[in-house]
Amino acid sequence: MATTMKHETPTSMAPAIAAATPAHALRPVVDYELLFDCVHCGLCLEACPTYVITRAEVDSPRGRIYLMKSLADGSLTLDADAVRHLDLCLECRGCETACPSGVHYGKLIEQSRVYVERNYRRGLAERLRNRVINAIFPYPARMRVLLAPVRLAERAGLRPLMRRLAPSAMRDWLDLIPPLTPRKPAPHSPGDAATVAADAPSAVVHHGCVAQVLTDAENWNTERALAAVGYRVAHLARTQCCGALDLHNGNLERAREFARANVREFEQSGADAIVSAASGCAAVFAGYGELLKDDRELAAAAARVAGRVSDLSSLMVARGHRFTHEFRATVTYHDSCHLAHGLGVRDAPRAILRAIPGVNLIEMAESDLCCGSAGSYNLTEPAMARALVGRKAGNIAATGADYVVLGNPGCELQIAAELRRRGARTRVIHLADFLALAAGANPSRTDGTAPAV
Amino acid sequence: MSSNGNSRLDPHLIAELRAALGDDAVVARAAELKVYECDGWTIEKAAPEILLRPRTAAEVSAVLKILHREGVAFVPRGAGTGLSGGCLPIGAPVMICTSRMNRILAVDYASRRVEVESGVVNLHVSNAVAARGFFYAPDPSSQAACTIGGNIAENSGGPHTLKYGVTTNHVLGLEIVLPDGKIAELGSAAEERCGYDLVGAVVGAEGTAGIVTRATLKLTREPEARRTMLAVFSDVDDATRAVSAIIAAGIIPCAIELMDQLIIRAVEAAFHAGLPTDAGAVLIIELDGAIAGLDDHAQRVGELVRGAGAREVRLAHDDAERAILWKARKRAFGAVGRLAPNYATQDGVVPRTRLPDILRAIGAIALRHNLRIGNVFHAGDGNIHPIVLYDERDADQTRRAVAAGREILQACVAMGGSLTGEHGIGAEKIAEMPLIFSPEDLTVMSELRRVFDPDGRANPNKVIPTPGSCVEVSTPRRQVPI
Repeated sequence: MATTMKHETPTSMAPAIAAATPAHALRPVVDYELLFDCVHCGLCLEACPTYVITRAEVDSPRGRIYLMKSLADGSLTLDADAVRHLDLCLECRGCETACPSGVHYGKLIEQSRVYVERNYRRGLAERLRNRVINAIFPYPARMRVLLAPVRLAERAGLRPLMRRLAPSAMRDWLDLIPPLTPRKPAPHSPGDAATVAADAPSAVVHHGCVAQVLTDAENWNTERALAAVGYRVAHLARTQCCGALDLHNGNLERAREFARANVREFEQSGADAIVSAASGCAAVFAGYGELLKDDRELAAAAARVAGRVSDLSSLMVARGHRFTHEFRATVTYHDSCHLAHGLGVRDAPRAILRAIPGVNLIEMAESDLCCGSAGSYNLTEPAMARALVGRKAGNIAATGADYVVLGNPGCELQIAAELRRRGARTRVIHLADFLALAAGANPSRTDGTAPAV
Repeated sequence: MSSNGNSRLDPHLIAELRAALGDDAVVARAAELKVYECDGWTIEKAAPEILLRPRTAAEVSAVLKILHREGVAFVPRGAGTGLSGGCLPIGAPVMICTSRMNRILAVDYASRRVEVESGVVNLHVSNAVAARGFFYAPDPSSQAACTIGGNIAENSGGPHTLKYGVTTNHVLGLEIVLPDGKIAELGSAAEERCGYDLVGAVVGAEGTAGIVTRATLKLTREPEARRTMLAVFSDVDDATRAVSAIIAAGIIPCAIELMDQLIIRAVEAAFHAGLPTDAGAVLIIELDGAIAGLDDHAQRVGELVRGAGAREVRLAHDDAERAILWKARKRAFGAVGRLAPNYATQDGVVPRTRLPDILRAIGAIALRHNLRIGNVFHAGDGNIHPIVLYDERDADQTRRAVAAGREILQACVAMGGSLTGEHGIGAEKIAEMPLIFSPEDLTVMSELRRVFDPDGRANPNKVIPTPGSCVEVSTPRRQVPI
């Protein structure tokens, strides 16, 4: 075969050619200055779930930052290829934990997505899919309507059949829906609150949007646990979606609308601590100060709200709770991304689990590598989501744990779906639900032997 | 170099490579190639025309046979964490990335060795054997991301090489795909080798001998105990003198690391490790070995550094305190990213006793070029790492940063030192090679290189300045694209 090209003569000392880096961005892709926090060291690579799977640098945080920089300085055009690699990011922020330079990657990827949505026209199928997600997920009433057929099928014992008949693209979506037979969570009783001093600090639990439809028990159990450690539990008059979905999808305006509504509600509740059973939502609340910093009316309130965001395990550790009930189980802990990387909470949930008599905590490998749930990511990027949850399930199985405990309903649905598909016996459970289980009537041990009371 | 996707490679050749590797292993799109245009050395940039991502040695061999037939040059790349532009494609249109060859193949605890593919991440080797009380000793600061193949190319070191040695001391055997596609096994798993030390020739060859696809590495037993100390000095001169005092006393710590004030402040801002920001310098000193006698050694080191002028000596009381100190040290380079948009890390060596002189020289160079230069380095073996801060958007500043780096290297050489301790020559220092090697020395190296790579197609324009370019080499300043 003839070559039309011979490589440059190897004896030449031709210096590498690089275009000048302009002092100012040519296109407003992201806050240009933030890009220069990245010194290209590459320490983020192995902390990035998508790089771990594809092993391609364009699917690493450093690679995406390079894409943003190249889009901003005009050396690359926004085409399907660039969008593809920006889309593939889970926004897990694992790279922020790994980054020694303090790069605000979460901010950069959110900004770049706003730019993409404003400047790139997606194909019809993607637009339709995104519209459906955006129009339904933040609204519990619409979610319930959408789920009605599944609920009916479940009551008639036809969910397996429904799954079989569904087109394969729908099957992953169906798998994520947990059993819908109403679980009856016990709201924390006035009795719990009676022991709480009048001057005790107060906490409020935001019940989320998808969470209150699919995993509502976690909300009530979070409130119970907070009451049990001496918090006065306040309630919101109205909950709105936190805005995570919109931030993820580059829809900044509606995210701000949701944020404003929530800030008003949180302020009205007067709560000292703001908690969500969904750490994904909690991390968004913690970013309200930044999101609304230019809001004339609410900037100060948003900053106050952001400063009050905490999580169940941290509050429990702070109150020095002692567990007396024994609950014998082997447990492993999955670090939900926005709890570990977003809020920096890693030790508190583990400390809580270790403090329960009888609980044997075994660490899994890659406990803080994203499970692929990532908001609506498992609906929009099913292949990557499946690859990641498969890896997660393998790491869980290696521990032999009875329970995998975590702090985010999205992870719960995602991992549970995979464990169901595999027929694994490990049960996925939110920390709040696990605490209720452990503190409860000490139900029979998972190995089927008699209760260990 | 092409970075706009209009490859100048023959489309038939690309099609043949696709057929050999599969579509997902051949990258030719502009957006995907763009991110490969530099490694941790960001001053020079060039994207390859095509990127190949093979999964096995057989695939690497198939590819190199094709490139051999067509006379096309290539450059290997691991995780792209290098700091000297070793994987910058200069005159090499094809880049071959080893990141998918990342399996740990076999661990033999009885013989203390592990067999890995070359794309395995350095730290993953240690993690895989930690439960059994072993580790892989060379620990570059980028160990959480860098690959064993990259370590082999650059003969990487790390803080603990003072006692344990650099990469070449830990590689027993290699599988290498030669530039013509033949697969050779060099060295062996046996401790005693006969014949030429070809493993030694390949380690540090920066990818100019071919592409290493598999390596048999030595495992090191975790020491029984460690003592990690932080010695705080008001004056950086005293800190460097303390280093010599420790070694002169016959004590070999497993690491002696120095951070100067600029670095201490960057690290404190990033990690809140509790370092005193008013100190002129700190030393992190780590002793390891059998528990018996270790505390005596630690006490002796404490006396020595106090004698040299340390105002405070802290001993890490537990693993958590030790981890904080090492986190601060290992991630110091990145923490510098908080101080300036860009930095260039220099890597030079001086005899330990000349550390006070070289730091003074660096201070003078910084002043002359009106640049900020921080120092964080492996003081125990005289391996300095001045970090030159600059902003790539300021053309003049970038030029001054490059000039300062060159002057620092010249100062190292003048003091009887060397051009690189562990980062390699890469694209960055090729012009400086004649500073320490005579034409005869370089000829021997060129001839050795030709044994592996007669056509000069494996990572061309690296390590050895070619005879034809001698005139350019001797120019005072390389042309640096701004």
